[in-house]
Amino acid sequence: MRRLNQDAVIAIFLLLASGILFWSTFSIRTPDYGVLTPAAWPRVIIFALALLSFLYLIQSLKKGVDDNAVADREPGLKSWLVYWQNPIYCFAFFLTYLLTLPVLGSLIGGVLFVFILMSILGGVSKEKIVTHAALSLATVGGMWCIFTFGLEVILPQGMIFSAF
Amino acid sequence: MVIENVLAALNELATVQTFILMVIGVAGGLIAGAIPGFTIAMAVVLTLPFTFGMPAVQGIATMVSVLVGGLSGGLMAGILTGIPGTPSSVATTFDGHPMAKEGQAGLALGIGVWSSFFGGIISAILLMTLAPQLANIGLEFQPWDYFMLVMFALTITASLAGKNLIKGLIAGVVGLLVRTVGEDEAVGMARLNFGNDALLQGFDFIAVLIGLFAFSRLLHDVRDPVSARKRLSAGTGNGNISVAIEHLAAIKIIFKHWTLLIRSSLIGVFTGVLPGAGGSIANILAYDQAKKTSKTPSKFGTGTPEGIIAPESSNNAVEGGALMTLMALGIPGDVTAAVMLGALLVHDIVPSPTFITEEPVLAYSIFLSFFGATFMMLGLQSGMLRIFVLVTRVRMYMLAAIILGLCGIGVYAIHNVEFDLWTLLWFGILGVLMRQFGFPLAPMILGVVLGNIAELNLARAMAITTDLTLFVTRPWALFFLIIAIFSSAFPIYQVYRGAKKWTMFYLPVACFAVSGPLFMMGGVPRTTLAAVVVLFGAYTLWRRQQAGWVFE
Repeated sequence: MRRLNQDAVIAIFLLLASGILFWSTFSIRTPDYGVLTPAAWPRVIIFALALLSFLYLIQSLKKGVDDNAVADREPGLKSWLVYWQNPIYCFAFFLTYLLTLPVLGSLIGGVLFVFILMSILGGVSKEKIVTHAALSLATVGGMWCIFTFGLEVILPQGMIFSAF
Repeated sequence: MVIENVLAALNELATVQTFILMVIGVAGGLIAGAIPGFTIAMAVVLTLPFTFGMPAVQGIATMVSVLVGGLSGGLMAGILTGIPGTPSSVATTFDGHPMAKEGQAGLALGIGVWSSFFGGIISAILLMTLAPQLANIGLEFQPWDYFMLVMFALTITASLAGKNLIKGLIAGVVGLLVRTVGEDEAVGMARLNFGNDALLQGFDFIAVLIGLFAFSRLLHDVRDPVSARKRLSAGTGNGNISVAIEHLAAIKIIFKHWTLLIRSSLIGVFTGVLPGAGGSIANILAYDQAKKTSKTPSKFGTGTPEGIIAPESSNNAVEGGALMTLMALGIPGDVTAAVMLGALLVHDIVPSPTFITEEPVLAYSIFLSFFGATFMMLGLQSGMLRIFVLVTRVRMYMLAAIILGLCGIGVYAIHNVEFDLWTLLWFGILGVLMRQFGFPLAPMILGVVLGNIAELNLARAMAITTDLTLFVTRPWALFFLIIAIFSSAFPIYQVYRGAKKWTMFYLPVACFAVSGPLFMMGGVPRTTLAAVVVLFGAYTLWRRQQAGWVFE
């Protein structure tokens, strides 16, 4: 049943999202000119999405089996967290990188992001720390140099870097 | 005129800087292609931020070089380790790896490299000669036809991309929806931004692509902590490769099988032209055809040269076909071509049927860079064999962390807008969820790319007349509608082929239906083609009736 529920839940979520999005199209302003109003095309797409989601719901209820369900983990939150720990680390550190970007800037923040992520995903030992530090400095530093000096793109400096 | 354009394009390309960038691009593509799990589209999309600061010709030439390199990089890992670097090299391993294990690695690599080269050259020639002709046909398209062409591209991609057609269609529709967020291009009204000013600009196309494709792929690859720490390929010792590519022997064998080479290349080009299909389909199709037409089919899978020539020439020929529809019609043939379209749009170049005549220098620069990169690929692949194999020994977690870090810089550099990094993050999460729940990403990416084109043509059509019947009565629009319907039904046909009686009529009915708009188009060639299609449908029907309504 759990496998069936996954697809059905997604279909219901998509149906709800379609409803909310369709409702939000009524707040799109309509100008006095033009044949195709700005809301028309999004409405067509949302209608198609709702229709397909409905078919998806029927299909998932009738099928009873979901091919995409995860078979290699136990049910439960703890097991889910263990199963997804690496992607969660990646997202969490990328989120931290974004939030600290105004302070650390793309160079310091980027090097730290790559170094910490490598050490978390790959494990820590003396040899690994040196390798991870060298790799993060070389790659992010190299990329930063290419963009800053080669392509003359102004990347976020951050408060720390700009203080110097 | 053609010579003038070629010379003008050559003049643009013939700079030391462009040459170096192309060499770096091909080398980068070859390395990326050699890494299992690192797709060509991912390599091209990650190159995109670097090209913004470059002139259009230089930027596009670099991207084309990465593309050509990526197409060939997969064969090295596939032959030597048995693990294909890219999905488009899967069939190469069937015979390439057995040959390598029998001590003929040098010959297998030579056949692979030269088949890739010849496939690329045949494809480049067809691209140069057929793209302008296809563009001439494209000039007949009116907004109704274009709109239906986009719908066809989306439906066929959805039907080919995954196991579940509905999921594929949902992905495509979500892609279209993503493109509507922000200010409406026609009249500038805010849409679906929920009062958020940052969303007024809409989601940046490149950030969406990188998030959906690269970000989500990397996270998917490091999901398992144990395999993330392992080397990508452990089958090559310490990377001490002492194999010498046997060029002359390989060329002799390929020339001996020249019909196979040409047929496989044509399969590649045709698959590339077809929206939604790509190298991953072409190499299997070509391998299958090679086996069926071979005098010694039993040798396939044991290490026969034909089993390398077919997939390698076809997968390199694919992009010529995909670029053909992109340059002539503005419709990308696959995800990689969709990224190329994004690159062109970033440089304010909008591919359309008039693109080749209005921007001949740029168009011919693309043709020539495709040619040039194919030659560079040949040289680099022979000289950098050891590097490619060493690259396959990188640990996935290192690769993922570095690429995520580089995405963080590259995506910001596109418009110097921090919101793009948030877009990358959100679409990365969406991509992971879609992969997990079995939604194919290719239709969504095509939806994002083609969303504006569809809306623009719908608006144009409605501005001309509000008569909606033109979407089904104009010959080209009807033609695309019919093939969209039949291509959508194709996965169901494949499942029930032979088991249900209606499948007997699928092909004949498709032929009869398609011939209708062809007859409507008029003119001798199209009417003749329509008659041939009808006759073929009738013949198929007759043969099945003769066989007692069973498949031959």
